[in-house]
Amino acid sequence: MSRVMIRSGAFLLPRIALLAPGVGLIAAFMFAPILLTVWLSFHAWSTQTPFSAARFVGLANFADLFGPTSVGRDFRGAFANTALYAILSIALILPLSAALGVLIHQSRAIGRNALRAVLFSTYMVPSIAVALVWSKLYSPTEGPYDQMLAWLGLPTSDWLSSPNTALVSLVLLNVWQQTGYFTVLAVAGLTQIPTTVYEAATLDGANRWQAFGHVTLPLLRRTLLFSSVIALINAVQVFEPVALITQGGPVGATNVLTYHIRRVGVERAQGGLGSAMAVMLLLTLIATVAVLFAAARERRGP
Amino acid sequence: MSGAAVSTATRPIALPRPRRRRDAPTQIALAGLVIAIGLAAAFPLAWMALSSLKTPSETMQTPPVWWPATPSLDAYSKVANVIEAGRSFLNSAIIASAATLGILVTSLMAGYAFAKHQFRGRDALFAVIVATMFLPPIVTLIPLYRMVGSLGLDGSLLGVILPNLANAFGIFLMRQFIAGVPNELIEAARIDGASELRIVFGIVAPNVLPAIATLAIFAFCYHWNSYLWPLTILQGNGDAYPIVLSLSRLLSYNRGAMNTNLVMAGATLAVLPPLLLFIALQRAFISSIIQSGLNG
Repeated sequence: MSRVMIRSGAFLLPRIALLAPGVGLIAAFMFAPILLTVWLSFHAWSTQTPFSAARFVGLANFADLFGPTSVGRDFRGAFANTALYAILSIALILPLSAALGVLIHQSRAIGRNALRAVLFSTYMVPSIAVALVWSKLYSPTEGPYDQMLAWLGLPTSDWLSSPNTALVSLVLLNVWQQTGYFTVLAVAGLTQIPTTVYEAATLDGANRWQAFGHVTLPLLRRTLLFSSVIALINAVQVFEPVALITQGGPVGATNVLTYHIRRVGVERAQGGLGSAMAVMLLLTLIATVAVLFAAARERRGP
Repeated sequence: MSGAAVSTATRPIALPRPRRRRDAPTQIALAGLVIAIGLAAAFPLAWMALSSLKTPSETMQTPPVWWPATPSLDAYSKVANVIEAGRSFLNSAIIASAATLGILVTSLMAGYAFAKHQFRGRDALFAVIVATMFLPPIVTLIPLYRMVGSLGLDGSLLGVILPNLANAFGIFLMRQFIAGVPNELIEAARIDGASELRIVFGIVAPNVLPAIATLAIFAFCYHWNSYLWPLTILQGNGDAYPIVLSLSRLLSYNRGAMNTNLVMAGATLAVLPPLLLFIALQRAFISSIIQSGLNG
């Protein structure tokens, strides 16, 4: 391929013209703000003032985040809520999407493609509308979910209005909205597994379940790793249902990082403090993704 | 387009012969499972649409009313006045179309350079750009708010659109698909004296139409749906509100009042454009995602 590719040196000006708009926009609105976030995290700065008004305070913002005051308590609460939300979301979405992927890919059931479309469609609609609808579905009085639980003779739930169940209710909403996307990723992974591998397994006397455990799952590892990273990044972004319905409550049970950082850094204009929170989030994400990749590489070894 | 997904999906796994006898009951069980999962997945949006056709009192009854006694479109005519739905729709359409168009043009150009040009630092630059795909928007929100504010663009549609044009996913997707365009086509055009820009839009683009369609749907829906950034940069300027922001305003208007049907009508209106776009083009869209190597 590289035989006919243009060598560096030739076409220099056209190449700069091709790259400048796309790369320039990313430099201006991605790279620059990331660097500014890191820089601001070491400063006391009101978001309503120019960057030049920022005053260097060293690690004071980070000390606050780990300190005993309400600033630290609220941040650590939001951090813990986000971690729990992400872990529960991944723990539910990944197995569910793998199972649905197998159902859609391997079975010959009618309506598979329609199911795939219905599942995926929930990923394409506005989260704000979804949040509105689910606030009504969860209503203990006019909502259908408690009514269905009662029909089945199960105990009803307070869903979003109790601090014990509010965060889990948001996780269920997330699972409903995102599982279809990850199902499509799972189907993509399954498509890449050659049939001959299954034929070999069948010749060796493996039944369907053994084939799934010893052939499908190991070969799906890359897909599942990628899916867990995306599910993690998506989970960290939960904002709409919190901003619209719970406002972080009841009693801080749904105060998640995206909501909390925006409240501190934009609404309360504590830009330095909010940036320090954003830096902590970024560092945690990088570390978690690194651990996920390392774990996946380890298991691949002999 | 959808050939890859469909043909491989129907490829049967070699099963031991005796199992064939169980095929009919298995088929019925599987079909039942597919229908049950489909109903569960479709239920919330169906409830939304049904509730928009109810009377205000029907939406407030305990136990809930499932089916409106006399379905009515009243809520839709009312919601238009409460939140200036027409204006919000226009704002959403402007934001989503401008972002989509800008992303398509810049991604095609940069994706072509990354796929078909060789230059020092190319792979490192591409890797850094791809890494920003995984960046949660909250990490850049605070300085971005100030940056766009100091450009004097807070409260304006341009302020919503401009940072959204920075899109690593588009560059990634285009590079993946343009890499598969035969070099001979490009070489031939160069010999004919075509400029690089002409090659991108005249030769390369027609060869990656499925990828362009996929990116267009994805970008349009994403920016139609996006809430965090418009909420932050528009700062209460209701004239520039896209429909998703007007919806949240509708909820505060509704608080304590018997107007759930209004809220559901507004939600239905906001959901319809991306949903219809997706349904119309879903086969091409999903199989593009499967082929893009987005699964690692």
